[in-house]
Amino acid sequence: MASPHLKIDGLKVSIEDKQIVRGLDLEVKGGEIHAIMGPNGTGKSTLASALMGHPAYDVTGGTVTLDGQDLLEMSVDERARAGLFLAMQYPAEVPGVSNANFIRTALNARLGEGNEVPVIKFHRQLQEKMKSLNIDPVFAERYLNEGFSGGEKKRNEILQMSMLNPRIVILDEIDSGLDIDALKIVAKAVNDLRSPEVGFLIITHYQRLLEYIVPDYVHVMMQGRIVRSGGRELAEKLEAQGYDWLKQELGIEDETVGAEA
Amino acid sequence: MTEGTSTLASVVQELSRKYAEPEWLKEMRESAWNSYVNTPVVRLEKSDLSKRSWEIENLPLDVQSTASDAVDALVQSIVESGAPVLYVRDGQVVRTEVPASLSQRGVIVTDMHTAVAQHGELVKAHLGSVVRTDESKWAALNAALWQGGAFVYVPKNTAVDVAVHFVHEDTGAGAGIAPRILVVADENSSLSFVEVHVASSEKASGVVTSHVAEVVAKANARVTFVSSNQFRKGPTHFATSRALVHQDASVDWVFTDVGDGYTVGLLESELQGSGSRSTIRALGMGYGRQHLDLTASMLHEGRYSTSDIVMHGVLRGRANSIYRSSTHIFKNAVGAGSEQHDRMLMLDSTARADAIPMLLIDENDVQRCGHAASVGRIDENQIYYLMSRGIPKPEATKMVVWGYLQPTVDAIPSAGVREFVSNLIDGELA
Ligand SMILES: Nc1ncnc2c1ncn2[C@@H]1O[C@H](COP(=O)(O)OP(=O)(O)OP(=O)(O)O)[C@@H](O)[C@H]1O
Ligand SMILES: [Mg+2]
Repeated sequence: MASPHLKIDGLKVSIEDKQIVRGLDLEVKGGEIHAIMGPNGTGKSTLASALMGHPAYDVTGGTVTLDGQDLLEMSVDERARAGLFLAMQYPAEVPGVSNANFIRTALNARLGEGNEVPVIKFHRQLQEKMKSLNIDPVFAERYLNEGFSGGEKKRNEILQMSMLNPRIVILDEIDSGLDIDALKIVAKAVNDLRSPEVGFLIITHYQRLLEYIVPDYVHVMMQGRIVRSGGRELAEKLEAQGYDWLKQELGIEDETVGAEA
Repeated sequence: MTEGTSTLASVVQELSRKYAEPEWLKEMRESAWNSYVNTPVVRLEKSDLSKRSWEIENLPLDVQSTASDAVDALVQSIVESGAPVLYVRDGQVVRTEVPASLSQRGVIVTDMHTAVAQHGELVKAHLGSVVRTDESKWAALNAALWQGGAFVYVPKNTAVDVAVHFVHEDTGAGAGIAPRILVVADENSSLSFVEVHVASSEKASGVVTSHVAEVVAKANARVTFVSSNQFRKGPTHFATSRALVHQDASVDWVFTDVGDGYTVGLLESELQGSGSRSTIRALGMGYGRQHLDLTASMLHEGRYSTSDIVMHGVLRGRANSIYRSSTHIFKNAVGAGSEQHDRMLMLDSTARADAIPMLLIDENDVQRCGHAASVGRIDENQIYYLMSRGIPKPEATKMVVWGYLQPTVDAIPSAGVREFVSNLIDGELA
């Protein structure tokens, strides 16, 4: 497949009639890694959820296309099959559905009827990926995320990313709850996937992750918009100095979306 | 009861004659018939039976119509697995397959009529001892009119390691279907019994069916009793299953109903012995205008008796069902403990479910008695999560629902019946 191209133009997103994302522009192409940083409550997860199509989020303005196709017109599963993958900040738990069964069903849904992956081959692949992510083999048969620790959930999101051949990957705080070894393992999985065929949007609070996954672009979100973009040095500056200098420069007092710009 | 009463009274006599029953049984049927006629129709809290018809014409006395393909396949798969099976259609025994190895060890698996003829004392000692003939109008009806049915006896210190199957097919050819099951597990024995009640065609409306199962688990016996049903619309279905659990014995119930019928069901363990334990896992998949009024009940009489109830209901269409879990810890049941978990999922906005937990504790010195009940819709976040990986919504819904039901289906110790029940559920989730 050709190199992906995600294009967000003037996106506005509301939840329960409260506007959270307030006109956001961003372009992610295959081979690029974009990082989004920003204080709590500035709309980062809302952006990610709206791109994936979470039913609670209403898109009230703007456009989003993936390879020229209207992403917002697609259902959640269609977006996924078009290549969008979101590693969630808080993935759901689904009792009674085994991890392996879930991932296999998801993979087969992408491959389409008649092209299903043979069961044995699938399990071999799954075990290989689990091994490289240092996930205990028993997690294949455990119920999806049920009772997983925070870090285990994050690794399970990365396992799915590695199995499902996504084209645009959004990682929402994949580093939260990970110890330093797990962080390196996750970063390696992301770097292994890195290619001209995959674009990344990485939401994080910490420069630490970006030392292992080096971004091409760093964006800062405040009040539901991207207020500053730069290279990796922007992340370093934020890590060292916090957000106050930027707020001062921009004349922002309260950076959360509740506050009027 | 209208004009049908006198003719039906003669049906009771005809049954006794047909099966050449001994005097004690004939009397039992007649007295049951009297209590059936004389017991007023009750109004249950959530099921107004006074509006239901109690007609029981056309009691089938001969094998009628042929088996459906699904039932044929099921029976065949059980036979091929080497497990014993009794196949009854419309009250008439059509097939009995019992491996000789079982009989050689003194295990009895037979239809109730043969049991009465060949093991009269054993049947007489237990029939009606767990579900009394006059305890309800429908128990009386069954005691008066039962046909076919299954009898299992496991001698002391005997483990039956293949599940005993009872396939009961209701073709709708006759009304008044009243199967009766009697299972006696003697001391230190073990048994799995799997009953499948299949409705193989549309049912006439306005009739009544009554199922009764009695289980006696003597000291240290372990019984798994599975009742997989398809209570279909038309009749009023009653199902009464009760176990008497003696010292250190255990009874594990698995109940499934995939149907659209009007059904009043009771699953109950009388935990009489000290150290006795019981579990109930119930699954209901209701569609159409299903009205399932199901009670799972634990009566703790024995010291240190323990129980666990888990009920999962999935409701579609205009199904309107009630799941009660009831635990009663009687005085002197020191150290008894119980858990209840009920979870109802409504798939359509027109469906309705009630989960009613009941806890009655007369003894102060008990272990933890927990209960949790919830009624709701499928968690949108779960569906979203599955869809976000490319799984279409209908399949995602199916996976989440199966997530609830799978553990109960997996608890059925019979591959053939698991598949049969799975297919029924899949059919309703399609
Ligand atoms: N489901 C929801 N219901 C109500 N308010 C919501 C919901 N989701 C988000 N919000 C609100 O929208 C705002 C932005 O939330 P969002 O989760 O997008 O922030 P974030 O930038 O991801 O923050 P964090 O860094 O803490 O993850 C917050 O004020 C939050 O309370
Ligand atoms: Mg967030």
